[in-house]
Order: sequence, then C-alpha cells, then structure tokens
Amino acid sequence: MTRQKRSRHRLKRAVAPYLYLSPSLVIIGLLMLLPMVTVIGYSFQNSAVLRRDPSFAGLKHYQAIFADPVFWASLWHTLYFTCMSVVFHMTIGMVFALMLNSDRINPTLRNILRVLYILPWLFTAVIIAVIWRLLLEPNGVVNSVLMQMGIIGYKVEWFSSPETALHAVTFANIWAGYPLFMVSLLAGLQGIPKDFYEAADIDGAKAYQKLIFITIPQLMPIIISISLLDFIWTMQVFPLIWITTGGGPIYSTEVLSTYTYKLAFSSYNLSQAAASAVIILLISLGLTLFYIRYQKAR
Amino acid sequence: MAEVILENICKTYGNNFHAIDQLNLAVEDGEFLILVGPSGCGKSTALRMIAGLEDITSGRLRIGGVDVGDMPPKDRDIAMVFQSYALYPHMTVFENIAFSMRLAGKPKAERKKRVDEIAKTLQLTSLLDSKPANLSGGQRQRVAMGRAMVREPAAFLMDEPLSNLDAKLRVQMRAEITSLQKQLGVTTIYVTHDQTEAMTMGDRVAVLKGGVLQQVDTPKRLYESPVNAFVAGFIGSPSMNLFEATLTGEELMCGTFTVRLQDAAFVRRPGLRPYAGRKVVFGIRPEDLYDSSLESGRKYQTIPAKVTSIEELGSEHIVHLNIDAVRVDSGDPDAAQDFGMTSNAVAKFEPVSTVRSGSEIRLALDDTKLHFFDPETHLAI
Repeated sequence: MTRQKRSRHRLKRAVAPYLYLSPSLVIIGLLMLLPMVTVIGYSFQNSAVLRRDPSFAGLKHYQAIFADPVFWASLWHTLYFTCMSVVFHMTIGMVFALMLNSDRINPTLRNILRVLYILPWLFTAVIIAVIWRLLLEPNGVVNSVLMQMGIIGYKVEWFSSPETALHAVTFANIWAGYPLFMVSLLAGLQGIPKDFYEAADIDGAKAYQKLIFITIPQLMPIIISISLLDFIWTMQVFPLIWITTGGGPIYSTEVLSTYTYKLAFSSYNLSQAAASAVIILLISLGLTLFYIRYQKAR
Repeated sequence: MAEVILENICKTYGNNFHAIDQLNLAVEDGEFLILVGPSGCGKSTALRMIAGLEDITSGRLRIGGVDVGDMPPKDRDIAMVFQSYALYPHMTVFENIAFSMRLAGKPKAERKKRVDEIAKTLQLTSLLDSKPANLSGGQRQRVAMGRAMVREPAAFLMDEPLSNLDAKLRVQMRAEITSLQKQLGVTTIYVTHDQTEAMTMGDRVAVLKGGVLQQVDTPKRLYESPVNAFVAGFIGSPSMNLFEATLTGEELMCGTFTVRLQDAAFVRRPGLRPYAGRKVVFGIRPEDLYDSSLESGRKYQTIPAKVTSIEELGSEHIVHLNIDAVRVDSGDPDAAQDFGMTSNAVAKFEPVSTVRSGSEIRLALDDTKLHFFDPETHLAI
C-alpha cells in the first residue's frame, strides 16, 4: 500500500464514525439545541417573539420571576408533587414487585395481577386525567365509597378545593406512574441469585432482614437510576395537571410547567415564560448531570 | 460436631419424579463424606435436604441425635458452601464472613475477634476490606469457607465448591479444604461430580445413581471392589473397560480372542464358577493394560488390538483402542465419553511406549486385576 493510499484509508476510518452519527446529531441540533438556545435568547429580550427588534433586557425577567410569589408557590408545589410521586412510585412499585416475585402466590393469579398492576402504564396522561376527574367528582365513585364506609361525612370537592387539589393530582400521578418502578424492580428481583436467599436462610435471616440486607442493596442501582429519571420526568409533568385542575384553584396546584405555560399563552409574556423555562431547564440539567455522574460512577 | 444420619430419605417432586429413593447413610462425627455421581443423580438434592433448603418427602434426618427433618435451615446447626459461593457483592469480605453473627445480634467486638481469627486461618486478613468482585476465584472460595466456619456448625455441607475454579487452583484448593477439615474436625458432607475430588478428599465416598445409593465405602475399596458395573465405571479415570464374554472352562471367550483365567480368580470369586458356559461381563481398568513391547507388559498374556488414537499427557499415554469384543455400558454418561465413536477400550501406557495411531498391537492385560459382573443385574460377582 502506498503512503497516499494509507493516509486516505486512515482518514476514512477517522471520519466514518462521525458520518454514522451525523443524522442523529443534525436532528438533535435542529429539534433540541436550536430551540433551547432560542428560548435562552428570548429570556434576555424584551417582548420576545412579539416584536421584530426586541431590546436586550438583561436579567429583568429572571428578577421578575423570582419576585413573583406564584413562582415560589409553583416551585414548592412542583417539589411536593415530584417528591411524593417518586417516593410512592418506588414504595408501591417495590411492594407490587415483591408480591409478583413471590413463590407463595399462585402462578395464574400472579400473571393476572401482573396485567392488572401494569394497566395504568398503558393509558396516556389525558385518559388518566379524565378517569380521575370522573372518579374524584363530588358525585363520583370515590366520594360515594368513602361516604358509605363512613370515612368522610360530606362530598369532598377533591380537585376544586385548595386544601385537597394538590394531594388529588399527586395521587392521580402516583397511580399513573408506579408501574415503571414495578416492572424495573421485578426485573431486578428476578436477577438476584436464589443462592443469596438460601445462604441467608441458613445464616438465620428473617424475611425483613433478607429485604434489608440482600434485596434492597441488590436493587439499589435500579432504585437510584429509576428514581432520578422519575424525578426528572415528574418535574416536567404538564397534561395531567392542566386537564384536571389547570393549576387552580387559586394557584393551589400551580407547578412550574403550568406556570410557564400560562405566562406564555395566557399572559403572552413570552420573555418571562422563556426565563421560567430556562429555570426549569437548569433544575433538570442539574438532576441530569447528577444522574450521568452516578451512571459513570457505576 | 455431630453425626448426620439419613434413614429411608425419599424426595418425590410434584410430577412424581423420584429424585431420591430410600437413602440410608450414616456420617460419623468428624468424618469427611463425599456424595458423588453423574449429573441428575440426586446428590445436590440430598445435600439440600440435609440443609433444609428442600423438603423431605419421607424418612428421618438426624443431626447430632436431633431429628431435624421439620426444622428450618437456621436451626439445624449446619453451614453450607455453595457452588456459586453466594457471597454478597455489596458487602466486604469482613461483612460477608460476619453476616450470620450480625443477624444473631452479636456485639461488634465479638464479631471482629471471631472474623479476625478465621481470616488468619484462611489467610484472608489483608482482604477483609475488599469486595468479592475484587477477589480471585480461590480467594472467594476461601471467603465462602470463612462464612461457613464463623458459625461453628455441627456439620459443613459443601455443594461442588471447586467447580468454578480452573484445574490448577482446584488441585490446590482440594488440598486446602482437606487439611482444613482435618484441622477443624467438623463432620463434612461434600457433593461433587468429579471423581478425582471424591477419591482424593473423602474418608468415605457415597456413589449415587438415579437417586439410589450404589455404594458407600473408602476410596480404596470403591476402586478395588466396586459393587456393580456402574460404580466400576464411575470410579477411576479413564473409566474401567467393560466387555461381554462367554466363560468356557477357565477362559473368557470374546470375538476372536480368549483370556485365560488363573485358578486364583475362581478362588477369589467362588460365585464365578456357576457362570461356566454363560455370558459374563468382565472389566479391566486402563492402568491394568500394558504395551506388550515394553518390559512392564512382557509378563502378561496378550490380546490383539488396534490403536485408534493417542493422548500424550507427558507422564503417561492415554491410548484409545479397538478390540474384538462387545463393550458394555456401565450407565455412567461420562464413561461413554472416554471411549468416543471409534474405540471401545482405553489403556494407560508408559510415556516410553512407541505405539502409533492406526497400528495393530498386542495388548497385555493383568488378568489378576479383572472384575466380573452379572450381565443382567450388573452386580459384582
């Protein structure tokens, strides 16, 4: 092989991987990076989108957002909604996964339960929102059952009362999201060698000790990965809240996504909405970096 | 320390499969007993029943005089070493070894003292802070032993603990486990499918086939006096050669050759006389066959054989042969592998042997080392 041929061959080998990557890089660039950079730009402009020659606004919109009590309420609601969702997704997912993995349950019943438990995952957010709006109506099934059982004495307006609305949407989101944990943890449980439990049986471990000393440590990589992903996804939930409560009543279920949406499409304050979106982006980015670092550490 | 007694132990699964059938075994206090047999013979099932990891369908199991048949594993005063070692990957070596003490709520100082003692015995002191993933196969094996030792049990149960190690390490660990067992003096039941382990490690060896105990005896007696053709074929490597022949007077008649028997053969086995004029199975171990051209084989009678292939191992030659006789299957699937497709006999020759593959040779055999079995029942005569 001549020197020229060799260097051409080397160049081809060096370029080839980037050629394979280029379609996805172009798509990511056009559909993700470009809008992201544009939104960041808007957040520093006055009357972004609305005016052809918007002026530079500096950090004005960020200051306005940080001065807005609704933003802080939204941030608190987002944190509450996200933390409760993730904790209960994990708890319920773990309990159901342990049940489905248990030899003590009849295999046929186990298969039926597996399908039943996974059902919420099959519905889109819009359907889930409609289902729970119907169920939690003042004259809905939930009130009627709770009243018959004597747990409540009057018809609670779950989505319309500021005291209960945030809990109600969080509950609906918990119901919709636990199957991801259940399926992931079940796969993890099935991968734990049976020998570990048999060795623990011989060593005299009780059921709860096996859970604490073997099952949970063995599932920890899955628990951490899925929790972080769930945190990132849940923080950005929009349709469920928008359809059930629209962020109300009196901002009681306002979260960062609905707050931003309203700024953009109700108040047409697109610059401030862009600033709010950038704040959400920064929080998500922080969590994502944490997730990537954890994955690398593994 | 205690004796382990199995009385009429049976294990039947839901599909009516009898994994263990009427197993009677008495393991003496401090004894090292090996349970050996081919895959699926029920040896691991028997061990798991002793451990309490499998229910006993019927029969009695006593450890140290206590009927433990219905007791959970933790109350049986046993410790088990698993084939996979079952070390917890998220715990350090120290935590793995101390796990049972932690469960029992033993104080930290006591745990540390005991683990340090064991680590010293097993040369694990420098590895106590390591995780199992950072250990070699042999070190993991030692940690698994340590975890069993920490409980100071009445009996050790070991389920093929060396099968994950490479050949060289296996030889080393074999010696280590044997000396450790002698040092501790704890009753040990050791399951293996490797008959070399069985022969070199145990005080006694119990051979199982299809869930039925075939013979339990010292390695030497198993080798010299197998009770049936299966044990004869299973014990020894390569397996014993087994052929069908007709006993006429004082000769064994095979296809085109005969083997003369000395009077002593009939004196040693009075049961052989009634087989005169009938078919009989005779067996001879590869190490009792010789190259007739060498000094070692000159004193024996010879039979014709064709060499099909030779494995030169340095210290000896494993010679695969074809002789004009019908080979008998001992029932051991591993034995069938020793012979292959084209040969029906195997011999161990000295490395100075010059026989070549494809050559016709005279094969010398030591007729005093012949074994005889009934052709129907395969029981030793």
